[in-house]
Amino acid sequence: MYKSQNDQLDHALDLMRRLPPQQIEKNLCDLIDLVPSLCEDLLSSVDQPLKIARDKITGKDYLLCDYNRDGDSYRSPWSNSYEPEIEDGTVPSERLRQMEIDANAAFAQYREMYYEGGISSVYLWDLDPGFQGFAGVILIKKSGNGSNKIKGCWDSIHVFEVQEKSGGRNAHYKLTSTVMLWLQTTKQGSGTMNLGGSLTRQSTKDFTVNDSNPHIANIGSMVEDMENKIRNTLNEIYFGKTNSIVNGLRSVNSLSDQKQQEALRIDLAQALQKRQAKNDSST
Amino acid sequence: MEVSKTARESNGDINLKIVTQFILHAPPGEFNEVLTDVRYLLNNDALLRDQAAGVFVQYCKDQLTPLQVENSEHGVLITEFNELPDGRFYDPRSQKSFNFDPIREEASDYQPWTPDATSESWRLNLEELWTNYCKEHYFNGCCSVFGSSHNGEITLTACIEGHQFQPRNFCNGRWRSIWTTTFNPSSGQAELRGIIKVQVHYYEDGNVQLVSSKEIKKPLAISSENQMSHEFVQIVEDAENEYQTAVSDNYQIMSDTTFKALRRPLPVTKAKLDWSKLLNYKIGSELKQH
Repeated sequence: MYKSQNDQLDHALDLMRRLPPQQIEKNLCDLIDLVPSLCEDLLSSVDQPLKIARDKITGKDYLLCDYNRDGDSYRSPWSNSYEPEIEDGTVPSERLRQMEIDANAAFAQYREMYYEGGISSVYLWDLDPGFQGFAGVILIKKSGNGSNKIKGCWDSIHVFEVQEKSGGRNAHYKLTSTVMLWLQTTKQGSGTMNLGGSLTRQSTKDFTVNDSNPHIANIGSMVEDMENKIRNTLNEIYFGKTNSIVNGLRSVNSLSDQKQQEALRIDLAQALQKRQAKNDSST
Repeated sequence: MEVSKTARESNGDINLKIVTQFILHAPPGEFNEVLTDVRYLLNNDALLRDQAAGVFVQYCKDQLTPLQVENSEHGVLITEFNELPDGRFYDPRSQKSFNFDPIREEASDYQPWTPDATSESWRLNLEELWTNYCKEHYFNGCCSVFGSSHNGEITLTACIEGHQFQPRNFCNGRWRSIWTTTFNPSSGQAELRGIIKVQVHYYEDGNVQLVSSKEIKKPLAISSENQMSHEFVQIVEDAENEYQTAVSDNYQIMSDTTFKALRRPLPVTKAKLDWSKLLNYKIGSELKQH
């Protein structure tokens, strides 16, 4: 019974979708130990909580992910250099690096407006020469201040691909966004409560590209819409859905009391209906 | 890269350890899905069959898996407390022991089983009230009470399992409670220890889980079967209500405060960003600098 590489990857991803997300990093390491041939595929397709590093040259913090990694080193978006230093580390082409600098500045402003803090990093990379376009990732991380004894953390990972069309006057944008939200508390009354994980959504769009609508503006508005949408969904799923499942397991109030009240309500409604019908027929 | 057969076998122990952890961490209601994934990844059914059978039973015990048994309207829970030394399990209600198949979640080969004489009157009394408590507070609950004794000391363990499996809506949840006390019937006083575990999994285009647990210790007075059972159940009802209310309160604070402080729904201006303006400002300020 030989399992193909693709089958194995599908099952590895299915497994990651089921195991508790609070242990993503450990589970991913174990998976790679179990099936070493899936290592690269898994690292590029399983999102992990974002880690922070400090750029030694500029002193500014940046975020780490698989897309700014080369071997064991990570490239800073601020100085464009790798830490630890490596020779011939992959860097974007000159045109793309300029756009990367602008994108980092634009998304830092975006982050200030929506997150009022946190850290962001944008990385761009060139695609195969046969492909008219480029790709990139926008990362945002924000940790809560731990008020009310509740720890909170938000990680946004937006991976996009831009396909330039008709000599660069139009472009097709493909966006895959994952938001990880982590909430954790330990209190006298509730014991330990760990609510966390991620949601992933995709969208595609075509935009005109010109001086007043450059790529960064097009990508920016797509990311903004997507994050606003995901934020709503997170709100519904984390605080609505999972809470209602808990309250669908056990009821604080006695169920027989509830049933009695329900029976009483039905009786009352029926009695009213009967009286109504009687009044109707007598007139 | 082709891995040689011997290399694969020498890795077998490590791989088995990894796979065991994956199986034990399967969310409620998703044991079979996780097992299928693990089979594809381990790619060694013989190893899994020969070495991991104990893990399947361990998972069912950890999860307090509810099981239908013949001639009983109540099910029984599969737990570490009703496992017999030969690997069979018993149902104290119907006084039967049985073989348990963890993959099919089925009982077979029923045999008569005799309860522990010292603890049975206490157990039976608690079972009646416990079953009623389970019905009063759990929508889809199953419960069992187990008793044993050692040198005149009685141990009673009362468990509840409640779950909601909705794979079509991509969500599953399970509540587990284990409450246990050990006492000498003439001692007058004992300690009641409880652990509550709740896990919820939502997995439509994502993976969101609530993992919560709380341990509780309360003094329990012991005078008669009837008095002890009433007090036992009252303590549990109060403690579980308090826990559930506190979890709901946390949800409220997380939503109202923690979540809002992480990311705003819109900027302070209450309008979405004007990206071309934002870029122009930046370019403008750069021009000034040069």
